[in-house]
Amino acid sequence: MTAVMAEALDRGTREALAGLLLAMADDEFVLGFWDSEWTGIAPLLEEDVAQSSIAQDEIGHAQALYQLLAEVIGGDADRIAFGREPAAYRHARLLDHARTDWAFSIARRFLYDTADAARLDLLVACAWPPLAGVVAKMRREETYHLLHMHTWLERLASGGDDARGRLAAALERLWPDALTVLAPLPGEELLVAAGILAEPMAAAEQRWLASLRPIFTRLELPFPFIQLEGERLETTLAVPAEPRDGHDGSDSFRWLWGEFTMVYRSDPEAVW
Amino acid sequence: MNDRIQAFNQHVASGGKVEAGDWMPDAYREAVCRFVEMHANSELMGVLPEREWIMRAPTLKRKLALTAKVQDEVGHAQLLYRVAEDLGKPREAMIADLLAGRTKFHNVFHYPTRSWADVGVIAWLVDAAAIVAQQALRESSYAPYARTMKKICWEESVHIMHGRDVVLTLVNGTSAQRAMVQEALDRWWGPLMQMHGPRTDPTKDRDLAWRIKNKDNETLRQEFLNTYVPRVREIGLKLPDPALRQDPETGRWTYTEPDWRELYAVVTGHGPRSAERLAFRRVNWEQTQWVRDAILTSPKAA
Amino acid sequence: MRSLEVYEVFKREREGGPMIHAGNLLAPDPELASHYAREFYGRRQESIRLWIVPRAAIRELDDPDLLQPPFDRSFKKPAGYSTEIKRKLAEARGRVDGRVEGEPEEVEAG
Repeated sequence: MTAVMAEALDRGTREALAGLLLAMADDEFVLGFWDSEWTGIAPLLEEDVAQSSIAQDEIGHAQALYQLLAEVIGGDADRIAFGREPAAYRHARLLDHARTDWAFSIARRFLYDTADAARLDLLVACAWPPLAGVVAKMRREETYHLLHMHTWLERLASGGDDARGRLAAALERLWPDALTVLAPLPGEELLVAAGILAEPMAAAEQRWLASLRPIFTRLELPFPFIQLEGERLETTLAVPAEPRDGHDGSDSFRWLWGEFTMVYRSDPEAVW
Repeated sequence: MNDRIQAFNQHVASGGKVEAGDWMPDAYREAVCRFVEMHANSELMGVLPEREWIMRAPTLKRKLALTAKVQDEVGHAQLLYRVAEDLGKPREAMIADLLAGRTKFHNVFHYPTRSWADVGVIAWLVDAAAIVAQQALRESSYAPYARTMKKICWEESVHIMHGRDVVLTLVNGTSAQRAMVQEALDRWWGPLMQMHGPRTDPTKDRDLAWRIKNKDNETLRQEFLNTYVPRVREIGLKLPDPALRQDPETGRWTYTEPDWRELYAVVTGHGPRSAERLAFRRVNWEQTQWVRDAILTSPKAA
Repeated sequence: MRSLEVYEVFKREREGGPMIHAGNLLAPDPELASHYAREFYGRRQESIRLWIVPRAAIRELDDPDLLQPPFDRSFKKPAGYSTEIKRKLAEARGRVDGRVEGEPEEVEAG
């Protein structure tokens, strides 16, 4: 696919691209905030430093994505990140949940990071070079996140009944919302046609679920999917009708928004 | 006094170094351990006042910088606890002593943070006051501590720059921002002046005799004032001590005597936020005990 | 139940550099030890390679009888020769008329 320039895209495609960038940026931004809550209070000092790096990476990714978005729609990365009401955020519902406890944080992060890896795979050969460049860097940093999250999933799953029980309970709670990360995006067929996305999100979602199945089976962790003919994995879980909207209805996200916009809102025109 | 102890005292007094596996008098071992432990505790507790503001950082860049700074502090706590562990005190015991209020941490971390400007003032001036002490500790007779201090000083220099950048941005900003930073400085100046501790008699200070530390408290305070008072004043901020002045001939700073009773009350756990922060740590430690148990139960990785 | 173990970390800072001791950390197992080593000695891009070794695997030698043997060993070091060579060179040059062009002033190795 030959490279495209943002200006050369038609309005519909450009809007879809903006939607994709906003979704990804908000995902990384919100998750980075939740995980930075572990700073100073993680279970082990060494682990504290590791978690903090991962949170910083996410914010760094968010920053790069907001900057790309600003290239497409104009404006400024900080204003996009900090300047909206809760209802205008487009992160996946999976990321509305509070940090809760260690098992919950690990479970949520495991589900998000593995799903995000599948999403990034769709963007490796992205026809819009700035996004392809950011994705290449993100994938390299995600290597460490995935390694670390896999390690923790294993440690908790085989760390005795209490740990396994907490992990399983967290996964049960999270699975319905986990399917919001790779839910279809508005206008994604235009992105596929433009060579920005290799395939629709649904294809990535299937590959993601198929990659998790052997791990969850081996570790005997909740995996609420059945395999239909043609190897497609389906769930009976109720997935939110609005996978990336309605965040003003989430108490935990509204609290988080209140925190992260507090200083910004005290004077949005000021330089900090 | 036994010969071996005398030889040891002479060794450290003349600049000799001590490693973890070396023979050392019990009193020296205890003194170093106590000194390092308080330092480690301070780094760990120091995270709490700043942690809240990571969530509230008003730009992406500030969020990254503050997260990285606080991460470094946790890292410093880890490095310092390791030094104390290698002297014989297990980490669990040190955490338990800290949470039970049996060991101390530096005064500044017992105070509240009230605004974004506090973040700047702490990162600039509190860290600067700390680094004045830490630079002197790079020559400590206890070599593992000295080496750790070199690494810590290098990392702290970035924090101070970050803090100065935050403060400068605020003083160059709106009048509300300038007022915010002046107000923060007014609140933090007292604890800052107490930070290095009261004047002590160097001849009676065993930590000095053993060269665990190499400069006394007043020397450190003078160094801090000498560098930072001009830097604060040159950007239009005022220091809330009318008696603060430098003798033009000797270069020595005079100031209103800090409230040493306040310092004593604070470091023994009666500061405005002492109980709350220790309680927060305690609850978190208890709530994560199951994780520590789990990872030590898990089959070893290949 | 196991306990946390100490792991020593060594790092190479740049191409061609030596492995140097960076520090140590506590970890429950070798895998997490290498994750943490990366955090402490790699997060600032300060290393291109790390070795993570359980402290228990390290054998230590510190006996001064072995490492600082007392008899003269100057025959093993350059400083053991340089004074003698200077003296003998001065003597040899003294026997020759003047200096030969291009001879070095200082004694070089060999």
